[in-house]
Amino acid sequence: MLAPLAALALANEIQNPLPVMVSTLASVQARLRADPPGGSADAPYWLSYAVVEERRTTIQGTHGVHAGTLREADRTLDIDVRVGSMALDNTHKIRDASFFSGESRPSWNVPLRGPAEALRRALVRGTDDVYRQARARLVKVRANAAVKVEREDNSADFAPAPVVSEEIEFGAEPVDIQAWEQLLAEASGRYIGREHVLDSAVQLVVSESRRWIVNSEGTRVRDGRQHYRLATWAETVADDGMALTVYDYVDVASPSALPRRDGALALVDGVADRLLALRAAPLVEPWSGPAILRGRAAGVFFHEIFGHRVEGHRQKDEDEGQTFTQKVGEGILPPFIDVIDDPLQARLAGEDLNGHYKVDDEGVRAQAVPLVEGGVLRNFLLSRSPVAGFPASNGHGRRQPGNAVVARQGNLIVSARQSVSYEALRERLVAEVRAQKKEFGLVFDDISGGFTFTGRSTPNSFAVQPVTVWKVFADGRPDELVRGVDLIGTPLATFGRIVAAADDVEVFNGVCGAESGWVPVSAASPSLLVSEVEVQRREKGNDRPPLLPVPR
Amino acid sequence: MIALAGLGVSLALGAAPADEGVPEVSPAIEASLVAELERARELRLPGKSAPSLVLYDVLDGDVRSCFGEDGGLVVESLERFRNLRVEVRVAEAGMDSSSFRAFGEPDGVVSRRLPVADDAYALRREVWLATDAAYKHAVEQLSRKQAAVQELPEPLPPDWTAAAPVVVREGKHDGNALGMAECREVVTRLTAGAPTSIEQVQAVVRDWHGWRTVVTSEGTRAWIPTGNVVVRVEATARRADGTPVQDARWWVGKDRSSLPSLAEMEGEVAAMRARLAAVVTGPSPEPWLGPVLFEGPAATELFSQLLAAEIVGTPPELEDGDSFLASTRGAMARLGRRLLPDGWRVHDDPSTRTGRAGEYAYDHDVVAPRRVDLVVDGVLRDVLMSRVPSKFRAASTGHGRSLGESRRGAMPGYVHVTPGRRLSEAALRRKALQLARQVGLDRVLVIERIRPPAMADRLDITISGEGPPPGLTDPYEACLLDRQGHCEPVRNLRFVGVDRRSLRDIVAAGPGAGPIDTLDGPPGPERFGIGSTGGVPVSWDVPSVLVAEMELDPSTGGEPRIIAP
Repeated sequence: MLAPLAALALANEIQNPLPVMVSTLASVQARLRADPPGGSADAPYWLSYAVVEERRTTIQGTHGVHAGTLREADRTLDIDVRVGSMALDNTHKIRDASFFSGESRPSWNVPLRGPAEALRRALVRGTDDVYRQARARLVKVRANAAVKVEREDNSADFAPAPVVSEEIEFGAEPVDIQAWEQLLAEASGRYIGREHVLDSAVQLVVSESRRWIVNSEGTRVRDGRQHYRLATWAETVADDGMALTVYDYVDVASPSALPRRDGALALVDGVADRLLALRAAPLVEPWSGPAILRGRAAGVFFHEIFGHRVEGHRQKDEDEGQTFTQKVGEGILPPFIDVIDDPLQARLAGEDLNGHYKVDDEGVRAQAVPLVEGGVLRNFLLSRSPVAGFPASNGHGRRQPGNAVVARQGNLIVSARQSVSYEALRERLVAEVRAQKKEFGLVFDDISGGFTFTGRSTPNSFAVQPVTVWKVFADGRPDELVRGVDLIGTPLATFGRIVAAADDVEVFNGVCGAESGWVPVSAASPSLLVSEVEVQRREKGNDRPPLLPVPR
Repeated sequence: MIALAGLGVSLALGAAPADEGVPEVSPAIEASLVAELERARELRLPGKSAPSLVLYDVLDGDVRSCFGEDGGLVVESLERFRNLRVEVRVAEAGMDSSSFRAFGEPDGVVSRRLPVADDAYALRREVWLATDAAYKHAVEQLSRKQAAVQELPEPLPPDWTAAAPVVVREGKHDGNALGMAECREVVTRLTAGAPTSIEQVQAVVRDWHGWRTVVTSEGTRAWIPTGNVVVRVEATARRADGTPVQDARWWVGKDRSSLPSLAEMEGEVAAMRARLAAVVTGPSPEPWLGPVLFEGPAATELFSQLLAAEIVGTPPELEDGDSFLASTRGAMARLGRRLLPDGWRVHDDPSTRTGRAGEYAYDHDVVAPRRVDLVVDGVLRDVLMSRVPSKFRAASTGHGRSLGESRRGAMPGYVHVTPGRRLSEAALRRKALQLARQVGLDRVLVIERIRPPAMADRLDITISGEGPPPGLTDPYEACLLDRQGHCEPVRNLRFVGVDRRSLRDIVAAGPGAGPIDTLDGPPGPERFGIGSTGGVPVSWDVPSVLVAEMELDPSTGGEPRIIAP
């Protein structure tokens, strides 16, 4: 039998893994430089280790009771090795590679605690795996460069960057788990008795992440991030079979900013009200005409149709649509619009910004990047992969642990040099409806997310998924809530139709998924009037509502 | 596609419970199931039948798991697991919606996590939604099955064997769950201190203890204690030419008191590492054609992999599409088939009380198991059955067990394989060497340990989702035994062309290693996908055996390291 064990304390030499990462990187680099397998040209010219520890506590209430509390923790190791030279290295895109030549990128779960040796062994093994893969890939890269035509953008694969030394003591602020279990149970009970609410939950997610980065240039980063989301969702089925879900949440950077009891209950009541109103709302047919995108919807709209298209790596990838690559210095938006991406900004309009960080995932200090000034494109978001005319990173190299870094958005902030009150903007919408001889215009009030395609092999379209859409009638009838549509379009045509902005600003906090995984972002914008948008029918389910009534 | 989402998804949640033994049984679960069962009888889609059968099965307990590597703790979790499996069947014209599979289509079985609070209303809300979905799926599944079988020349056997309702009130759980401190210590100590010649040592521990609550429309009401614990350790080394070499140890038991002491496990792991370090620098393996001796855990794995499918009488599920007729031939088990040499016997009896993990009081259908004499004089005479009948056998033998949402087919429980004659270990080895000499070999191959299906990681298995083409997974440990009694370790061999007929080539048997507990899935592809800590406990008591002739080839692969550890 397994004899009872005294609860022995596990030696934890890697609570701060940075010293082991630094010493292992130095020793591995020295060994490879002293005796590189294919001669000195094959030694790595750059080597980086990143360890991210993520701890998440999820508390959930449902149907008036505590549903469960889940605690998770892991550490992910990413190793990046570059072989060749900054001009041409193993990360270079292999053009016209077949679908089946996909390359797996290894990453590893490494110990949360234990002896230094456990981490050191993982680092050495991983470096060897990645280095062998890098050498093999460089052979293919060189051949591909010889076989294919000259690239349109001959910029280097990697750019120099200043050494960063940033070590911030990070301690996450705890929450009272038991108190929240009780509150979420109570809040979830507000759905009981709301006829047609089939399923629902209220959740608090407490996330802490600690990050350590070292590289062969001498950069050393130790920092952390904490994030708290109070969220609730409820779902129902409309009589026509359309499955409806309303989700609402509050994202904050400290537990003291979380809603109190009244705020949590109001969040739930608001979702229940909106869900049931939507259930009774009529459907909208496919339509085009003038619309207002309220601040959050406009933020997502810009994130999708503009933000992704100014990410640096897309400007030199010849499979990409490259909507804006050749438009630097040209007007691409109305002259009253400015756009900046500023990860250094922590708060806006009274809200914590999800896309806030000081140092990116390549160990480069984040910069505020003016992307559009007076409607004119000025810049791109850049990682350490430079593009023609933009030789250095501006601190936007980001990734979810386990992925290769690319340029990503942080806090994309749209502002207007000329604006009117929202009421005036709404009047302009009605005037536009009348001018276009339409029955109604639309106001996109709340959205759940969106997506876009940026490649050349697919239409360069976008979709924004609204939750709450209102019809605003030309004849002055009261506004009418409607459901069942997605906002769709293509970027250049849509930009040209932005005609006015309000003086409000709203923030959308969310996570964005792309080549380098899911990263936290924010998008902020004033409400915008667009002279013409297009909506299409939303995918809908076909299930009958439950055959039996809710249990009593 | 690039997506932005603020929308979260509902997480399947379990509570993080206090780390103190096995939770109490929850009467609220049974109360909520009974209440919704009564309402489920009223389910009726227009023009369709009401449910013919409703089966609720809730697993409620604590799962403790730890994963360690090279002395460090990589992942740990302590989770309250409360999960409902609801099966609804709809019947028309003597046929119900079960035992049929249509690719990508839902059947009448739905799983749903339940809140951990013992609140009958909250539990009923979840049961209500799951039952509604299961009923609708069952109605559509029956229509698919009716469409598929309407041209069949002969009627199908019944889908279900009636059984008297059972009321079980096992109010006390005598399981001895592993604590989190022990969980952590096991994985860190078993993986610590490996020499640099061993690239990596990983260990995983999973302890599950809780209750199964079953409520059926037939009247069954049951609280049944359940649980098991598994420890697996795997070490990897690499030869100079880059070929990876692996070895492993694992222990499965009813609970922590069934496991060896940590010191004993450490001793076994140390011996494994030493052997691995030696074999990784040894000579390259040569192809083998000749007699093979299976000793210890390797003999258990030989029988488990080759015999399990031959003793289970559950017919395969009917499948929609072109493969339909082929799959209606009946169970793989064929009564009257010779499986073993004359004089051999096999029986399965999970009803004994010797502490083995494969013993149980009730199967997942809440049928008490009975002894089944399967093989007599080497010939299959009876089969293991759940409540899914076949053309040849109707009654359950109390062997109905399954994984998750899968159909409740029969699985082995505690299998005893008894040879007609048993040699001593020394005599068995002499016999093996004698057979080797007859074919011009001066040594005989001894297989000591075989990779269990749960740890099979070959690409062909991963892609196909099915068992290895040779019929038997690769050996972890093997050696070449000479006349002086020295057995030289060999590595990286792979069986070629093995199937159940290899069992008939057994020419002698020895003492065996005694009963061994394993975790396994139902015979078939599922057993290769259960993961290193999943599966249902099965015990085997088998002799060591000598097979007259087998073929094994060396396996290669991998790249040499550039950066030495």
